[in-house]
Amino acid sequence: MLKLVFGAALVAGVLAAQSLPAPTCTLVPGWTQSGPARSYVSDNLFEYMDGNAEGYLIYGFQKMQGVTCKKGEVTFVVDVSDMGDADSAYGIFTANFDSRQPANPVGMGGQIQPRRATFAKGQYYVEIGANPEGDHTAALTEWITALDKTVSGSTTVPPAMSWFPAEKRTGLRLVPESALGIRLLKRGYVAQYDYGKAFVVLEASPESAAAVIQKLKTRFGENTPATIADEAFQANDKYLGKLCFFRKGRYIGGYTITQDGYDGVALSKALADKIQ
Amino acid sequence: MSSSRRNFLVAGIGLPALASASRSADPEPQTRARRSSDVQFEYRILGKTGLKVTAVGMGCMVTSDGSVVERAADMGITYFDTARGYSGGNNERMVGAALKGKRNSITLSSKSHSATGKEALNDLDTSLKELGTDHLDIWYLHAKTKPEEVTDDLIEAQQTAKKAGKIRFAGVSTHAGQPTLVPWLAKNPNIDVVLSAYNFTLEPAVTTALEQAAAAGKGVVAMKVMAGGFRTIKPGDPAYAKLKQDGGLLAALKWAMRNPKVVNTTIPSITDNDQLAENLTAMGHPYGAAEEKLLAERLELIRPLYCRTCGQCDGACRQGLPVADMLRILTYADGYGQFALGRERFLELAPEHTSVKCGDCPSCTVQCPHGVKVVERLIRAQELFAC
Repeated sequence: MLKLVFGAALVAGVLAAQSLPAPTCTLVPGWTQSGPARSYVSDNLFEYMDGNAEGYLIYGFQKMQGVTCKKGEVTFVVDVSDMGDADSAYGIFTANFDSRQPANPVGMGGQIQPRRATFAKGQYYVEIGANPEGDHTAALTEWITALDKTVSGSTTVPPAMSWFPAEKRTGLRLVPESALGIRLLKRGYVAQYDYGKAFVVLEASPESAAAVIQKLKTRFGENTPATIADEAFQANDKYLGKLCFFRKGRYIGGYTITQDGYDGVALSKALADKIQ
Repeated sequence: MSSSRRNFLVAGIGLPALASASRSADPEPQTRARRSSDVQFEYRILGKTGLKVTAVGMGCMVTSDGSVVERAADMGITYFDTARGYSGGNNERMVGAALKGKRNSITLSSKSHSATGKEALNDLDTSLKELGTDHLDIWYLHAKTKPEEVTDDLIEAQQTAKKAGKIRFAGVSTHAGQPTLVPWLAKNPNIDVVLSAYNFTLEPAVTTALEQAAAAGKGVVAMKVMAGGFRTIKPGDPAYAKLKQDGGLLAALKWAMRNPKVVNTTIPSITDNDQLAENLTAMGHPYGAAEEKLLAERLELIRPLYCRTCGQCDGACRQGLPVADMLRILTYADGYGQFALGRERFLELAPEHTSVKCGDCPSCTVQCPHGVKVVERLIRAQELFAC
């Protein structure tokens, strides 16, 4: 599968040589280990989480080290996953990120909720689940702070994240395949807005990107050209709305607009201008 | 089931939901209808629930975009499945938004992996809020493998939800342990629907178990129909890639659908519009000789692992090993991911059997007519369990 190289992933080659950090319960005083430590690779991740493993494998899951820690009646399930590169680690983080809740400044990005905390740093994706019910925010924050110190890797957010305007944005995630539900678009970032969606995917070469644009034109049927970057077109789709797709070198991007009052061409042009 | 599995991580946001489950079930027999120019929809009744669903439903876990869900509903798919734990709760939100305005024309299910009734009910309230509905048609206890995991507390939670109108029917989902769990569920009057991993790579005992559930009037829903649930053949594996070639996955879907008396509907994971269109063609084009040939070829990939329990190896081992039993026990670990159960069963064998090391024999007298690499598999069982 084509891997997007959105900046931060460029360091993946260096980071790949690092060993997967194994969490220990002594990271935070007062916690003790419950049961044996866990270790999983892509071959046996199903044994740990059944069908949910698919959600990890599609983001390039390589291996996981985990441990369950207890303090009194509280149990924390701590897992550190090697996702192969920073782009994928940040990708699975975005897929599980609750955009209605605040982010926490940990690694490339983090989030702490009452019973769950996650962050991505370099090629690693870190998760903690808390039991029983209740607000474990304080302890989770303590743990995330401690884990952040043991996990090495880039803390730079993939540059693509800054390409999408924040206004009226309700979500932004890396879609591992079939962005916008279209198999031709493969893997890319998709931002959700009140009024539609914006996306950027990366092809292997300008030529293959041009070929995809041609296939998209055929797929959507009636279309009109637009003047954006190397080439662009507008079309309509019953489900996606008014489309404006462009190609800039190896990148394919654009907007799908589902509300009146928004200029897909202007928005797409602004998006294309940000792609370097 | 380990308490540390991923679904455990999902936090509940307790919000009450209004109870209203007024839609009546439509107990029409299996029917076919043409909903678009090239798709013939097949409808089936989900056991005694009376719910009428398309033979191909939609598993939404890895669906890449909400527009695919919306399109699927418009095209005529009537059964959609998600879970509280998928994508940290984002999946339910996407499915709910996509099906807004279509709720009354579809069957919607979700799941909770919580270990206690109280937490499960909190999960349910969160699911209802995220899905934008006041009730689920089916609410599953998620990923159970043994009867003891389906606790009275969880069953009571389902009954409480049913009485409150928050769910119409109670179900249990299972990826493993079906030969033991499903017959138990079949006898449980509180369970209406069984959602099971079911594909052509699984041993016949799974089919037998689901037959019992169907015969007891349970609705039977098949998932992991593309063989992704078999732990030795999974996404990323070259053999899985081979399975996907040349229509292999479509054939696998048709295999799971082939007997409406056992499987009422299927919920293959649908990623994009292309896969949606392909899966829909499974209806109206039944499983036949071409698919059987294709799957037989695919089965060759896992033949070295897969015991069909034909019994032809009985008494063939010069050491007296119960070969089929040992292969089945190994399947608990390799096929179902239940190492502990496998080891427990292995240690129940006679000491003269557990002490045998197949590697010590100069040659093997057991020849599997189906091509299972018996020596290799038995050595693996001995290495895994005999310590």
